[in-house]
Amino acid sequence: MLSYRFLFTQLVRRELRQKYKGSALGILWYLVNPLVMMGAYTLMFGAILKVARVPDYPLFLMVGLSVWTFFQTSLTAAADSLILQGSLVRKARFPREAIPAATVTVQLVTLAAVLLPVALITLVIRGSWTPWLVLVPVFIVCLYGFVLGLALAVSVLHAYFRDVLPIIQAGLLPLFFLTPIYFETSKFSFVHRHPWVGTVLNWVNPIAPFLEGLRAIIYGGSGPGLGRILYGLVAAAVSLTVGRILFDRLQGELAVVL
Amino acid sequence: MSVPLLTEPAAATIPLAPGEIRLEHACRTFDVRADAAGTLRGLVSRRRSEGPERIPALVDVNLRIRPGETVGIIGRNGAGKTSTLKVLAGIIPLHSGRADCGGRVVSLLELAAGFSRDFSGRENIYLQGALYGFGQAAIDARMAEIVAFSELGHFIDVPIRTYSQGMLLRLGFAIAVHLDADVMLIDEVLAVGDEGFQRKCLTRIASRITAGATLVLVSHDLRSIERACARVIVLDHGHVVFDGEVADGLARYRALVRDEEEAAGT
Repeated sequence: MLSYRFLFTQLVRRELRQKYKGSALGILWYLVNPLVMMGAYTLMFGAILKVARVPDYPLFLMVGLSVWTFFQTSLTAAADSLILQGSLVRKARFPREAIPAATVTVQLVTLAAVLLPVALITLVIRGSWTPWLVLVPVFIVCLYGFVLGLALAVSVLHAYFRDVLPIIQAGLLPLFFLTPIYFETSKFSFVHRHPWVGTVLNWVNPIAPFLEGLRAIIYGGSGPGLGRILYGLVAAAVSLTVGRILFDRLQGELAVVL
Repeated sequence: MSVPLLTEPAAATIPLAPGEIRLEHACRTFDVRADAAGTLRGLVSRRRSEGPERIPALVDVNLRIRPGETVGIIGRNGAGKTSTLKVLAGIIPLHSGRADCGGRVVSLLELAAGFSRDFSGRENIYLQGALYGFGQAAIDARMAEIVAFSELGHFIDVPIRTYSQGMLLRLGFAIAVHLDADVMLIDEVLAVGDEGFQRKCLTRIASRITAGATLVLVSHDLRSIERACARVIVLDHGHVVFDGEVADGLARYRALVRDEEEAAGT
């Protein structure tokens, strides 16, 4: 496995370069896209619909949006990854999980490129410097593990059943509106009257605890809550285990189906 | 396409020497459905009876190849030649039986496999080296030799989508013969190059073989089999029907083809 480390770095570097190769703004697109999104959501949810009465709303949005974008783009890109790299799969015997893993890692680089400046600006403007910040890397590692496990499963399943990616895309859109990216669950009076709705929004949605944990630390300057830390660790472990098992079981025939 | 739930075969009982190849009761069939990828619909309505029958590619094949041997595999279309190579390369698994190769296995099966079109020849050398588990330093050490062997000159830094078939072949071959393979698996592709390059490749392969490497060559071009191989295996419908001297093997193959033509004629 160790001898394939160079393969992994090659795959990551190639994809990073290919992504915005030949475009005028190049790497800056990493920042332009989320900024445009942020502008639109601030206008819509912050100014017009007023669903969220939180201070420094654009910063609140950006932390959540960057985590969501990582989750969404990783899954959709991973689903296609084995098919796009079919020519490698048909060439040699190598650990094929390197392909979806490289795709998720590329998205992690993108997440870092967005979250780092966002976090710095948030910390400066809101003065939310706290010792809790040491937990940010813990959350990021758990998030990476969680998404990597899902990506392994999704990539190998989509190679066999080409319905998987459309299903995921269809599921991600409603999930976006149910995810506390642009709102805070506790701020809704409806949730106060029906507390179970808040529980569902905050805990059944697998990405919500990661997102709210990171936002609590970076934006709120408070602790993420023990529950969210445990959730992150368990979700990463379960996702990686299941994803790994599924990938190992299904990857044998990849050269035949791709 | 049924979902295969095969586990990797258990580790070899007797360790193989580098360059040694062993197939034991190797069996492999293929679905020949039009939409090979399969959809959820296929999984939901799993009516086996509707689908076409499975095509046997390898039927209880037993083979032993010693280090340093040069083996040609011939047979009519669909005899299982390419499947054998893919199984040996570890690219597709067996349904039963076992296949083992000792040492590093390097394959040239499809010309385009392992290349990405948008990257330069040089970048593709790194990628292919990495696919075989080489690190950056090991590839750097071979880079100059590979580039020189490929005769691509300044084209080595141009995206390979601009390459001709011949250039792609030269690059693929240059990489394959410089990766210190113990087992070289080559399918047909040799025929694409010009005479001079073919000779150069054969010389290079011969020097690897003297060093103990094994060559398995699949081809319809009987002359290249004659030139490169000391042993011939004739496959037919997934069975080994001949295994031995080149001259006898070629005769057996010609008889097979003749029988087929006669059967078609009557």
